[in-house]
Amino acid sequence: MSEGFEPRIVGFFCKWCTYAGADLAGTSRLQYPPNVLPIRVMCSSRVDPVFLLTAYLRGADAVLIGGCHPGDCHYIEGNYYTRRRVALLKNIFETLKLDTERLRLSWISASEGPRFAKVITEYTENTKKIGPNPAKNKIFI
Amino acid sequence: MAKTNNKTDAKSMKGTVISTKEGLSKAITDFLKQAFEKNCFDTILIPVKVPANDSYAWVLLKDPALLDDANPLAPIMPVQGGKALSSILKHGVTDSSIAAVIRPCEMKAAIELYKLKQVKLDNITLITMDCPGVLPLKDWFKNPDEGEKKFKDIIKKWDDKDVRPLCQICDKFSVPLNEENATYPDLHFGVLGCSDGTGFVIPGSSKGEEILDTVGLTATKEVDKWESKVNEVTTQKRKKRSEAHKALNKEVGGSKNLPVAFALCINCHNCMRVCPVCYCQHCYFDSEALNKPPEVHLMRAAQKGSLLFKPDCLLFQVGRMSHMTLSCVSCGTCEDACPMSIKVGQVFSMVADQSQDAFNYQAGRSKDVPHPLRVFEDEQELDQVVTMCKDILETGEHK
Ligand code: SF4
Ligand code: SF4
Ligand code: FES
Repeated sequence: MSEGFEPRIVGFFCKWCTYAGADLAGTSRLQYPPNVLPIRVMCSSRVDPVFLLTAYLRGADAVLIGGCHPGDCHYIEGNYYTRRRVALLKNIFETLKLDTERLRLSWISASEGPRFAKVITEYTENTKKIGPNPAKNKIFI
Repeated sequence: MAKTNNKTDAKSMKGTVISTKEGLSKAITDFLKQAFEKNCFDTILIPVKVPANDSYAWVLLKDPALLDDANPLAPIMPVQGGKALSSILKHGVTDSSIAAVIRPCEMKAAIELYKLKQVKLDNITLITMDCPGVLPLKDWFKNPDEGEKKFKDIIKKWDDKDVRPLCQICDKFSVPLNEENATYPDLHFGVLGCSDGTGFVIPGSSKGEEILDTVGLTATKEVDKWESKVNEVTTQKRKKRSEAHKALNKEVGGSKNLPVAFALCINCHNCMRVCPVCYCQHCYFDSEALNKPPEVHLMRAAQKGSLLFKPDCLLFQVGRMSHMTLSCVSCGTCEDACPMSIKVGQVFSMVADQSQDAFNYQAGRSKDVPHPLRVFEDEQELDQVVTMCKDILETGEHK
């Protein structure tokens, strides 16, 4: 089924770190799969779990939040709240037996271009492995 | 003896024996009359039968004579007491003191709302009782007189087969014995384990003790009988609860079953509006944010092959969970209000038990334990949180 399947991954990236990390990966001419649709946010804590859920339920094959490493948030503690919210959403997914594998949180700093490329590569590969999001063509979702 | 609301040593609980010959409700209203006379509080928030005799409503009572129409153990719960209390006290306290006579789950909602800054509890005397549950609204309205009779029987036999599905599996029907940092009601009326026609009034705080002293009912008796029965019933209910949740999980879990479970949802959002802990004035799911121009719908329909109207039913359900599951007190008010008889309360309580467990939290247990989404740990973050957020690179699990 996943032969030739190119996943669509929605990424919510913090402007101060992961988004800059993506920039660095680009300017350093690192290769990574073009499957991520990046959305820039001012801080990972700007991302309400409902954003992730919306992307997932509307058929994104995977969702990624990128934030500053713990302790490095531009707003001091935003990403600690993010961590708890994402953990909570994953817990809800677990209870409802939805795909926790389609939700990811990664800490990627502005200087970690290679790490950015690696995360995207791995996440894309993994999403290819698990196949398309079944929500994609379900009417009643 | 209890000095604060936070008694950790349940063993030290004392109570006063009261007569419940004419029923627990009557015993409570009689007590309230005495306390009213002695100026223990100025007003009482309590369920009162409506003039048409077919329902109950929350009333803020000033006139003790009206207590004759009040029923602390109303057979139904059309409005959750925590929500009623918050609508009075959202914008601050008055000097006058209010006694809120509410069920244990309503007190839990009030505590959550207190932590979410939606109610001030300073001048409130919280009064609860052992709760047998309430009847589903749908059953009640078929025949309220029958309902009254049926409920009298339920109280007498403590039989839970006709109460709401969530009441049947409620393990927090009394006070939180043996729970760390638990916040106790100022006064609790306990009947479990007591011989027929008697019960206990038990103070859970120094305020409660003072009230009992004032009305001449100083608490001196051991309440072991009651405690051990509460513990016994709690154990039974917990077992029933986890079995019910397990069965429900089989039924609704998974991306195939979940949409089926909510397929009948008509998107009325009643469940959210009556939920005591869904306090936002402007809910995202009611906002214009989800009303898109036609092109967007057409695009989605084209991508999917078809699009349900209104769309985003599951987004509402799971989104609401992601906002409030840690505060859900499993009261079942949502389910009672659902016109489509969806098991919305049962699903929410199942998710709530899991998520609260993961955060080592119990909604409404303690005024002093902060809401998990309002705080965080740096190095010492909860294991569950850290594991859930482990990156692929760190775990290498998908290599
Ligand atoms: S979601 Fe339902 S069961 Fe949970 S607190 Fe709200 S009304 Fe009560
Ligand atoms: S009350 Fe029932 S029908 Fe209405 S939105 Fe909630 S689940 Fe859907
Ligand atoms: S500023 Fe990057 S996570 Fe808060």
